[in-house]
Amino acid sequence: MNQTARTHSDRWSFTRLVCATFTGLTVGSVVLMALLFAAQSVPVWRHAGPEYIVGGDWFYRQELFGAASMIYGTVVVAAIAVAIATPLGLGAAIGTAELLPARARLWVKGAIELLAGIPSVVYGLLGVLFLRGWVDDALRSAGYEPIGGDTLFTAGLLLAVMVLPTIVTLADDALRAVPGSQRAAARGLGMTRAETVLSVCVPQAGRGIFAAVLLALGRALGETIAVFLVVGRQDGQWPAHLLSFERLFEPGQTLSSKLGGAETNIAYGDPLHWGAMVGLGLLLFCLVTFASFVSGWLQKRGGQVA
Amino acid sequence: MRRAIDRTLTIAGWSCVLFVGFVLVLLLGAIVVRGLPAIDWAFLTQPQRAGGAEGGIIDNVIGTTILIATAAVVVTPLAVGTAITHGYYLRSSKAKARLELFLVGMSGIPSILLGIFGMIVFVGLLGWGKSWLAGGVLLALVMLPTVAVAMIERIGALPKAQVEAAVGLGMDDSQVVRSVILPQSFGALITGLLLGLARVAGETAPILFTATVFAGASFPTAIRESPVMSLPYHVFVLAQDSLDPAMRDRVWGAATVLLILVLALSAVALPLRLRIHDESVHG
Repeated sequence: MNQTARTHSDRWSFTRLVCATFTGLTVGSVVLMALLFAAQSVPVWRHAGPEYIVGGDWFYRQELFGAASMIYGTVVVAAIAVAIATPLGLGAAIGTAELLPARARLWVKGAIELLAGIPSVVYGLLGVLFLRGWVDDALRSAGYEPIGGDTLFTAGLLLAVMVLPTIVTLADDALRAVPGSQRAAARGLGMTRAETVLSVCVPQAGRGIFAAVLLALGRALGETIAVFLVVGRQDGQWPAHLLSFERLFEPGQTLSSKLGGAETNIAYGDPLHWGAMVGLGLLLFCLVTFASFVSGWLQKRGGQVA
Repeated sequence: MRRAIDRTLTIAGWSCVLFVGFVLVLLLGAIVVRGLPAIDWAFLTQPQRAGGAEGGIIDNVIGTTILIATAAVVVTPLAVGTAITHGYYLRSSKAKARLELFLVGMSGIPSILLGIFGMIVFVGLLGWGKSWLAGGVLLALVMLPTVAVAMIERIGALPKAQVEAAVGLGMDDSQVVRSVILPQSFGALITGLLLGLARVAGETAPILFTATVFAGASFPTAIRESPVMSLPYHVFVLAQDSLDPAMRDRVWGAATVLLILVLALSAVALPLRLRIHDESVHG
């Protein structure tokens, strides 16, 4: 339907009004959500100031609200997930897009969609009943004395499995969008299949692959239920140095696991404490929205190039 | 050397594919092998007793059905209105791109934030207690981008000759929307709904604070103060005290029922989606 097919006027018919109203409600709900989050978190910004973001201590009875250790937990858990899932997912996408015959590719993609459809609470259950024990055993045999299998690393590992389908499907789409003639030309120049894939297909699909990774990152940042069940939910886990690994194998807390916990119910009714909880939501909202907008923008650009 | 690299890439690609397949089989197998023995007629048809250690999950199944049916009813006008605004009424490609980007952003919103949003709106502003309707509306917002995007893609793929023919017959905008665009994109609406429902049927975070309880609810009789039980919340609570072996069988059973529900919804959508894709290629 291109522009010239349109003969309609700007008259506001009933149908148009209804459509516009529902569009308005859709957009309005998200705008309302952002505004409410901003408005209701005002008390904590007034109370704690910048300390709310950089402070590592959270004791609500003492009215100490510092979200830094939760931001750290969120970022670290998502980073572990993406760091594990990206090479695996990209490898599998190269497999499905470049190596598998078309029919088999459909089957594999169907199976991967199944994997993506498993609810996060089921992933969480698997994490509780298996992964937690495995991580505990592995840490013990590596000479650590863990408090238990619930660690930031466990959550990251579980999330890696959860975001893997996102990376595989989208990276596969990006690779398939590279025109076949390019592959044929590369092969015609005498390049091997590996050289074609690595120096023609992957670079051309680079934007799309990066968008896939960012989308997975956004999912990982916001995932709540599965992380909640295996992360340990220990406040105040701030590392001695930003790059030290000591906290990874200890229980931690993420923005989302804090919000999913009982403290949300406790905080309700106390404007300051509630503001602090909603403020965590606002921080999470900003982190995730940034990741998904950049991803959406890259996908659009990637689509135009291909 | 070049051959070696070529072979390495082939092996690496294949092993990644196999590994992903292995993970899939392992996950599904781990759940189903433990869950299926726990499922029998009594488990499916009896109410829960003794904190989930005895009895069945019928109230959870009823609750989840109510929640997703409500979500489907609430999301349909919102998604259809948005998709038609995008596909027919919005003219500038800039405005269309903005709406698309908005939907991408909306689909990325972590579902726990909708749970908090629901608490602010339904509990704080409206003064409701836990309510199935609040849960349905929140789940509708979770699935809205999925449904809207499915319809937008379908409307975008409609042959423009159809719209031109309708206009040529003297139809005005509303008639074109109602007699051409809506019927032609109906299949995409159904697909989108099924895919969206498959996602929200397993969602826990949005309904955690505003809609669902672990025990003591059955068919709701009002709107305010009328929570429902649900499958995902049931699994979520039992997973937190899963050390009791008797409980463990039952949580696997509930997880398997949830998984079958979710996979059935997306499996029904798959052929429909493939057909739509086919039409958009050959149409």
